This record gives sequence, structure tokens and C-alpha cells, in this order.
Amino acid sequence: MQPELSRDVGARPVAVPPDAERPPRQWTRWLPVAFAGAALLLGSAPPGLAASEGQGAGPKVRVELVSEVESLAPSQSFWVGLRERIAPGWHTYWSNPGDSGEPTALEWALPRGFAAGALVWPHPDRVHVGPFVSYGYTGEVVLLTRLTAPRDLEPGARVTLRGRATWLVCAKICIPEEAPVALALPVTAGKPSADVHGATVISRARGAVPTPSPWTASFSTTPDAVVLTVAAVGLNRERVTDVWFYPARWGVIEHAAPQAVTVAADGITLRVRRGVLPVATETPIEGVLVITERLDGGTAGQAFSLRALPRGLTGSTVADARPSVTLLQAMALALAGGLLLNLMPCVLPVLSVKALSLVEHAGARAAILRGHGVAYTAGVLASFGMVAGVLIALRASGEWLGWGFQLQSPLVVTLLVDVLFVLGLSLSGVVLIGGRLAGAGQALTTRLGYAGSFFTGALATVAATPCTAPFMAVAIGYALAQPWATALLVFETLGFGLALPYLLLTLVPGWRRLLPRPGPWMERLRQFLAFPLYAAVAWLVWVVSQEAGPQGVAVALAGLVLIGFAAWLYAASRAVSGPWRRAATATVALLALAAVGLGPVVGSRPSSPTGAAVPDPRGLSFEPFSTERVAELRAHGIPVFVNFTAAWCITCLVNERLALRSSAVAATFARKGVVSLKADWTTRDPQIARVLESFGRSGVPLYLLYPRAAAGREAGEPTVLPQILSEEMIIDAVERI
Amino acid sequence: MAQNPSRRAFLLRTGLAALAGGVAVPWLSWAAAKVGEAAPAFTAVASTGKSVSLASYRSRIVVLEWTNHECPYVRKHYETGNMQALQKEATGQGVVWLSVISSAPGEQGYVSPAQANELTQSRGAAPTAVLLDPKGTVGRMYGATNTPHMYVIDEAGILRYAGAIDDRPTTRTSDVQGAHNYVRAALHAVAAGQPVPAPVTHAYGCTVKYAA
Repeated sequence: MQPELSRDVGARPVAVPPDAERPPRQWTRWLPVAFAGAALLLGSAPPGLAASEGQGAGPKVRVELVSEVESLAPSQSFWVGLRERIAPGWHTYWSNPGDSGEPTALEWALPRGFAAGALVWPHPDRVHVGPFVSYGYTGEVVLLTRLTAPRDLEPGARVTLRGRATWLVCAKICIPEEAPVALALPVTAGKPSADVHGATVISRARGAVPTPSPWTASFSTTPDAVVLTVAAVGLNRERVTDVWFYPARWGVIEHAAPQAVTVAADGITLRVRRGVLPVATETPIEGVLVITERLDGGTAGQAFSLRALPRGLTGSTVADARPSVTLLQAMALALAGGLLLNLMPCVLPVLSVKALSLVEHAGARAAILRGHGVAYTAGVLASFGMVAGVLIALRASGEWLGWGFQLQSPLVVTLLVDVLFVLGLSLSGVVLIGGRLAGAGQALTTRLGYAGSFFTGALATVAATPCTAPFMAVAIGYALAQPWATALLVFETLGFGLALPYLLLTLVPGWRRLLPRPGPWMERLRQFLAFPLYAAVAWLVWVVSQEAGPQGVAVALAGLVLIGFAAWLYAASRAVSGPWRRAATATVALLALAAVGLGPVVGSRPSSPTGAAVPDPRGLSFEPFSTERVAELRAHGIPVFVNFTAAWCITCLVNERLALRSSAVAATFARKGVVSLKADWTTRDPQIARVLESFGRSGVPLYLLYPRAAAGREAGEPTVLPQILSEEMIIDAVERI
Repeated sequence: MAQNPSRRAFLLRTGLAALAGGVAVPWLSWAAAKVGEAAPAFTAVASTGKSVSLASYRSRIVVLEWTNHECPYVRKHYETGNMQALQKEATGQGVVWLSVISSAPGEQGYVSPAQANELTQSRGAAPTAVLLDPKGTVGRMYGATNTPHMYVIDEAGILRYAGAIDDRPTTRTSDVQGAHNYVRAALHAVAAGQPVPAPVTHAYGCTVKYAA
């Protein structure tokens, strides 16, 4: 398997010898000996240790220029690489060198008319030096540059590309080194030929250059930490063995600090201590995220370039969670946010129904009404306390979540859809349970209804969860950066704000006089208020579609049908009596259970990565895989390429982006008449599992290329392509069939 | 450097990192000194054998210079006379200049008091004092990562600048000419009672050779 992973091993030679931490000591140990020798030879004391560092032992890095082409054509663009071969135990630096160091520089002195792009850097590794961490390379690295030849190049001539490379190479001590580099290439009139050796070196290096992230990223900050969130939906936590973020700039994060990583179904969250440059988090954070993925028989590091935008913790664009607000200000904002929650489309109907019942029973005893107000407030506060408690506890255990975290679970969203739909139906008058839920009717005039009011409070909280009112983001952002007691206080203030309007109506009898007189308008209003709820349901179903795909939407909609039927059955059966009524009630209970029970189905299906890049129309087009289809195609003598992939497989994703979507690959496939099939293992298809197993694999990626079968003869075995593909590799394999 | 740690090790590590959230862990000591806040107080032994304490310089501007005479980046500024010129210019205006050596015994840049004095003399340097910090106590207090790493403390004892000496992060002596010297700019600003234009910059150079 090792050769398959050569992109990883070759271009970023991570296999640091076990003595990597030691050389400085060994080096300094024999330095005095070198000195004594030098002093004897020269007959004078050397000026200083460092003066002999570079000379005594020779350069620590050998450099050469490598080209992917053997000859040049006018106007041609081509890659060249500065190849550094670094002595064991020493390292050179990435564009952001980390805690110390200096990146390699290449100054070109090109013939007239040639243009050179900027250096393109393969992703770095972490190099630990004492208490510091540097970002750089050990063993070997190839830094790339894209050169463009001028149009007026004379065929037959020979051009020499010259430059000067300067770099810092360090073990524990550092040596600045430099060298001239040059490469002579002939100019040809026709298509330039590839340099077989150079093209391999360059292609391997390009494989280690970060590709644009297929996922969106955002970050938030606290006084101490930067929290980076990458919307890599549907990753398989089991397959990810390491995640590291390398910022492009110094001062954004502490380079040596541990990075606390959470890989969950909804993405990757990475928390790291903030760097010393305060302004660094005022602009988007750029950098490289390296994810090491476990494959059959090895691992592969995949590097993605990220640009994370700042965000509030609620996911809105409210600037920064690093608040300049005080506790009092945060509480004032929370109170205002809570008050405004009453006007949100998911909460307003619940509250309005409570208010309407007050209108109807304005004459009830003041003490009892007060009791209901207090019970309702208690319900809101208790449920807010519960949600906040869970949130705080999860965060203490390392999960980095914000308000609305519940909505990241398609299961919870589906249940919310069900609850809001039932409420909507009750307001529409399909079923009367809503009246009771909202504490209307008899209940409000007696003490017996207190429990009902309490649960209305809880219901208001549940209905409020999908909504974020203005002002809430700042208050919550503040709360989450505080100790738990303070955080809880802010959350409860928010809850109190939600409960306050109704509480005031029950506590202050004078205010109730402001309410309009009861009348038939109340029924109309109640029915109308069902529509904001249906709107909320529609929105939440859309949320489910983002989280769980068409499957999730189907389940959520099926749940709604069941609930609708159950509601109708319940209402219809109230008119009958005896066993029929009991049977109907039991059926209603069963239907409701079934609707709720459908929810978990949503969560169990791995979703597709919603943040994935739009497919490139130029690439290969795939048919769905089946063993029958392979057999059929082969029987007709058609060569077949099978791409075993899964939405949660990062390596598969990178291969598709780097190699399979290339237009050159598509052209070669078309010329050779190869038909491409895609076996999607996102949902663990048993037929695909059997094929994988027959090739000794337990997972994806697997790439098979079945050669053209000669008519009437048993077809040959398929070629198993490496797990890490490059454009050249696939084209080469297809050309050979 | 475990490159491909097992999943268990990875989970363990990230889990521990998450748990370590509020606990004092080694890296926390790294950004102890913050620009805009009071500079941490310290007392260290100078190469002359005298004890030097930051508190005794209250009401004067203080420059801290982390140094390692064998580091190519430090040598760039001493071999061109750049550092000595700045030292003379600053101390001539009443600024206290403390060169700090945090290299541990056996590491690059470690010197005895006599060697330190000899270096000052042979290089024509003009610090107020050279502080020997072989245990790295002062270095860690200030989060000094590089040599040279420069700090400017104002008359009220507030840290006003931390970072590089200038804006040319190279070892090329030719880069000294024409570079923008952040320390000089900070000294001018502090003396004039103005805010420092770039209070935090990326210090460049060799790592400070702390005791392991």
C-alpha cells in the first residue's frame, strides 16, 4: 500500500527520523572537536560558533530546479519546482513559518519576456523545537512556480532559466543558506514533450498543495480562543485521525497551543488559543486545514485552503462574539431579545392564544389569573434553564456549540415540525387540543389549569428555539464566553423577557383593560394565527432538506400526514362514545407515536455534503454501479472504470476534484470508449460491500479499471488504481488498456 | 512528532486538550505579557553581578532586547552596527536598555558573565545592563520567542511594544539599510505621549534557546 500513498509520503516527507529531536545536541557535542581542528589548521581561534556552522558541515539543504517539460514552446505555461533536499533532523519553512523562522525565497532572473507566478507551497508539517512549533518541511519539499514563455521564442534556441534561492534551515540552531539555480531547456516548434522524471516530481508536489475547501468555514472568538467551524457535513469521525489548522498569517493563533478538534456529523470544530495580534481576527482568517484520513492500509493527509469569515455564535453575521458589553448590558440585551421573541412567527401564535383567553376571562378572579401568569413564567424559565444547562454542559465537555445547536440535528428539527404543525392544526380548528394546550377555556378560571399554563410556557420555549430575535446574538455570545453561573443568568433573563408580556397582563389588572372587547373577531384571529405556524413548519422542512436531504424531507412530510390524519380522527371521534371512541383514541396515540418515531429514521441516514462544490460539467459523467451493469458492459467488450466513493470520504472528494473532474481525463476516457460507473457507498450498500471485500478492502476509495475484453474470451482482471489519484496516473492507466 | 497517530491517541489528545480548557497548561505561560497592560515585574542578575529589577526603573522608558550572539539574525544587526546605534541613541535620551540572554547552559548563545561583558565590549554595544536569564524565567514571563525580540515599556510601567526590531525578516545585512525600525518608532511615540503605530509585530529571528 505504501507506494499508493506516495503523494503523501513523498511530497511532505513526514517520516521524521526518531532522532529528530536530538541532532542539535549531537551537533553541539562534536562542534568543539570541529573547532579544535579548525583552530589548529588555521592557527587562530575561530570568530564564533556560527561562523563555522555553514562551512564546516557543508550546506544542510541541496536545491535544484525541476521542470515538468523537457522542451519549451512559445507562449507555453509550465510548472517548475525548487526541490529542496533537507539533511535529516533539519527543516525549512512554510510561507507562515510559525513561532520563528523564515520562508524560502526564490528570486528569478529570467530571460526577457518570461513571466513567473508566485511560489506555490505544498502544505507544511508541524516541527517541534523546544517549546515552540514551526511550520515547515523535513526531508524533501518541492516549491512550485508557474512560468510562462514569451510568444516570440525562437524554435531551436536554448533558454536558461536562472534564479537565486535563499532559505533558512534550522534544527535547534538556524543557518541561512543560499544558492544559484538554473535550468536550460531547448525551444521546439511543436508540442513540447514532458520530462518524465520532472513531471512525476512536480505532480507529486502539486498533490500536496492545498486545494480550495469544498466546505464553507467561519470563526468566532472569545477573549482567549479562536473557534473555527468548517461545514464538512457528513464526515465519518472514525476515519479522521488528525486535523490541524495552519493559519496563513502570524499572530492569529498560538502556533504551539493544542488544537481541540471535534469531528461531528455537522462538521469540524477546532478551538485554539488566540494569537497575540488582536487585529488578526478582525478580518477573515485564511489558512490551510490538513485532515489525515484513515484508508485501507494507511493514511492520507488532505490539505484544503480555507477562508473563514467572522460570525456571531448564532450563525448570524452579527460581528464578533468578543464583547465589549458588560454583564448588565448583556442582560438588558437579553431582556430586549426575549421580549422581541414574542413577536417571532413561531412564538406569536402561542402567545396570542394565551392573550385571547385572557380577553375571554377578563372577569376571572385576579388571584387566579396571577397564578397562571406565574406558572407560565415558571414554565418558560424552567425550560430555558434546561436548554441552557444542556448547552453549557456540552460546551464544558469540549463541544463548541452555539444557541440553536439543537437545530443542527435533523431529528430535533423533525420533532419541532411535528409540534408546530399540531399547534397550527389546533388553531385552524381541526382539533381542539390546542385550546387546552394554550390554557384557554375552563382551565384558566380554576387553579387546576396551572399545570397547563406551566406547559404553555415550556411550549413557548420550544417554539422559540428556531427563532433568533435581534439583540439575542450579542447577549448569547457574551453569555457563552462567561462562567456557567453568569451564562445561566443571561439565558434566564432571555427567558424572562419572553415570559414578561403575558406575566404583566396577569399581574397588572389595569393593563387588561387595554385589551379589546371579546367578540367573533377572536375566532378569526385564532384561525389566522395558524398561518405563521405553517410558515414556520415549511421553513423547518427546508432546514431538514439541508441537513438530511430528500430522504429527510420525505420522512418529515410523511410525519405531517400521519399527524393530520390523527388530528382529524381525534376530533371526529369525540362525537361518538363507547368502544369506538376508545379505539379511535388508541389509534390517534399510535399514529402520533408513528409520526414521532419516524424522526429517528432521519438521523440514521448519512447525509450528502451540502457544502460540496458544484460538480464541474467538464468532468467524467457516471452511471450508477451494479455488478450486472459491469458484466453487461464487459460482455460487449467495453472497458469500464468504477469509482467506489462515499460522501463522507475526504480522499474520494479530493480525488474527484483533482483528477476525475479534469477535462483531459474525460477526453482520454471518451477516446478510449471507457464507461464510468459510480458506486456510492455513503449508505453502506451490501452489494458494494461485497465487491470491496473481494478486493480486500473494507472501505472507499477503490478505483477499478476493467480492460477491454476480447470477444469470446474470458476478460482479464481489472487494474486496481491507487487510492490517491492524479490526473497523469489515470490517463496513463487508461492509455495502456 | 507523531504524524499518523492512532485514532485513539488522537481522540485522547483532542479530548485532553478540550478538558484542559480552564486548567493552567504550559502554553498559557506564553502570552503572559500583554501590550497595553502592566509589564510583568522581574529581578534578574546582570553580567556585572548586580541585581537588576524592573521596578527600579519606574518613571523611565525601558527597552528589553532578547539576544543570542550566535544567531544569524542577531548578528545581522550587530555586524552592521544597527543595534549598537539604536542602543546609543536610546540610552542617550535617558532610555534604559536591557539586553536579556535566555539561552540555557549548553545551548546556543549561553554565555558566562565574563563572556557577556567581553561581547559588549568587543561589539561596541551600549546597553544599560545585560541580564542573564539561563532559566528562561524572564523570557517566559514576556513570551519572548525569538532573538532579537524587542519590548518597549513606558514610564508608567505599561508594555507598549512587543515584536520585531524592523520590517525586514531576513539575515541579509543589506536589508538593514532602508528597513523601518519598529523599536525606534515605538520609542519616539512613547516619548511624545502618542499611541505606538504598530504595537504588536511579528518578531523574527532564531528561537530563544530555552532550557527544555
